[in-house]
Amino acid sequence: MSDLIKVKQQGEARCEGISYQDLLDDEKIEVPSYLRENTNPYMGNEDIDVARWISRDFHEQEKIKLWPKVWQMTCREEDIPEVGDHHIYEVVDQSIIVTRTGENQIKAYINSCLHRGRLLRDCDGHVKEFVCPFHGSTWDINGQFKGIPCKWDFSHLDQKDMSLPQVKVGTWGGFIFINFDENSIPLEEYLSPLPEHFARFPLHDYYKGAHVQRVVQCNWKVGAEAFMESFHTLETHSEILTFTGDANSQYDTFGDHVSRSVTPMGIASPHLPNVTEAETMRDILELSGRMATDSAEGHEMPEGLTARTYVAETNREMFSEIIGESLDDATKSELEDAILYMLFPNTQVWTGYHGNIVYRFLPNGDDHNSCVFETMILMRYPKGTKRPDPAKKNILRPDQAFSEAPEIGGLGPVFDQDDSNMAAVQKGMLASKKGAVSLASYQESRIRHLHQTIDKYLKA
Amino acid sequence: MTTKTDTLIPAADITDNQSVAVILEGKNILICRTNGEYYAVDNQCTHQRASLSEGRIRNCFLSCPLHGVRFDLRTGKPIGELTKVPLKTYGIIVSDDGNLHIELD
Repeated sequence: MSDLIKVKQQGEARCEGISYQDLLDDEKIEVPSYLRENTNPYMGNEDIDVARWISRDFHEQEKIKLWPKVWQMTCREEDIPEVGDHHIYEVVDQSIIVTRTGENQIKAYINSCLHRGRLLRDCDGHVKEFVCPFHGSTWDINGQFKGIPCKWDFSHLDQKDMSLPQVKVGTWGGFIFINFDENSIPLEEYLSPLPEHFARFPLHDYYKGAHVQRVVQCNWKVGAEAFMESFHTLETHSEILTFTGDANSQYDTFGDHVSRSVTPMGIASPHLPNVTEAETMRDILELSGRMATDSAEGHEMPEGLTARTYVAETNREMFSEIIGESLDDATKSELEDAILYMLFPNTQVWTGYHGNIVYRFLPNGDDHNSCVFETMILMRYPKGTKRPDPAKKNILRPDQAFSEAPEIGGLGPVFDQDDSNMAAVQKGMLASKKGAVSLASYQESRIRHLHQTIDKYLKA
Repeated sequence: MTTKTDTLIPAADITDNQSVAVILEGKNILICRTNGEYYAVDNQCTHQRASLSEGRIRNCFLSCPLHGVRFDLRTGKPIGELTKVPLKTYGIIVSDDGNLHIELD
């Protein structure tokens, strides 16, 4: 067991009844140590000023102190498989060309021509060299200046460094990260303990099975926070309570940049005392969108088995078949629970053996009252077969429902329920006379953690 | 009025992610193959009239070699800011004898 659990925990109060750690005691398979970590240092209980979500000034501070300093996830390596393929990553008013320059080499350039400043590339694509569409200044894929038409008029550039300015690049789990700050800590240090906790889920070898994007009318943090606590399940997603141990969830923080929630699935909410195991089994298969099947047809609860065990074993069998590998060492928890990590500031990744959800929230350009929400689903494929091509991004219009994106299945209706809060939270904060929000001590501790880390950057 | 051209070239002569340029009734047309399907488009980028013959084809998208404008081969629609004008597309079929035919307006 880790030393981390010795830290002083966030308050003493917990929901009555079974805890996530109690459920782990019931596992028949050896529980990996990352699941036994249970760390939630006390961070305080003070109200938080709504200005952090609604004020222009706070957004401007984030622009200067946060986004230029943090590691941020740009895209998947599989999105740019060949040399010359590139992705345009935009955050607030910055634009970066993330491009593959070799089989195992990726570079990221500031997307601005060194002649007159035009964006070198307007969108994702493939080029053999970067030619500015305005006057034709040209750089090779490695960022070396190749020339400009009418060179006789530019002798004053001869002594200047004309290579494209770069930002730092790192990869983990098949994701490509960038950092504008030359003096930032290494990505490996920033990510810790994420790689260790994902050792059983080699995300670099998963493929992107779905990618959906939509603008949401709220600050990017309001969006991110909608997925950082399970407390809202009771009122926002009441139809999933028959199989979601919402108030039994465990919340952990690890250093400044990583936090986690673990919500037990396949057990009924402590708010619903009279649910049968058969109801839990039926509803989780029909409604969760994350199990190996989305239909309970033909599934009968065997006598003496719990829904949690039955569904985990169903997942084990079906996931193994899909990925062509044994999952004998997977715990029930890993096979069905909602184990969701956040990497500061805006990326969230689920564990899991097939169908790992990823969320990312970015400011919508320079607007602090709206954000761009993206979700990906990472899938596994049979070992030894060719990796399927990544899904093309499906960009929904702002007036479209997430349930109009069939590729995310049962998640669509759940996101629509979350979406019904997100814009309303933004508007409600603007209208607030109290001018502050009050967080639950434990269940909303990850949100406090997010804001305390933001403060560390803003005050640095 | 739609006219069907005479036999063009054997479909098997074009492999995936390759293209062949042909002149038909004075039109310069690029025949492309991707994911096993055939497409025919005007062989001239709508941004600056560059030839698309050397353009890379991946997953139904053709990239102009000049500035990298990407066109969806199914619809001709461009992606990005450099042009909003779609490429003209033509109907194309593989006949029973394995040859490609293009429908010209």
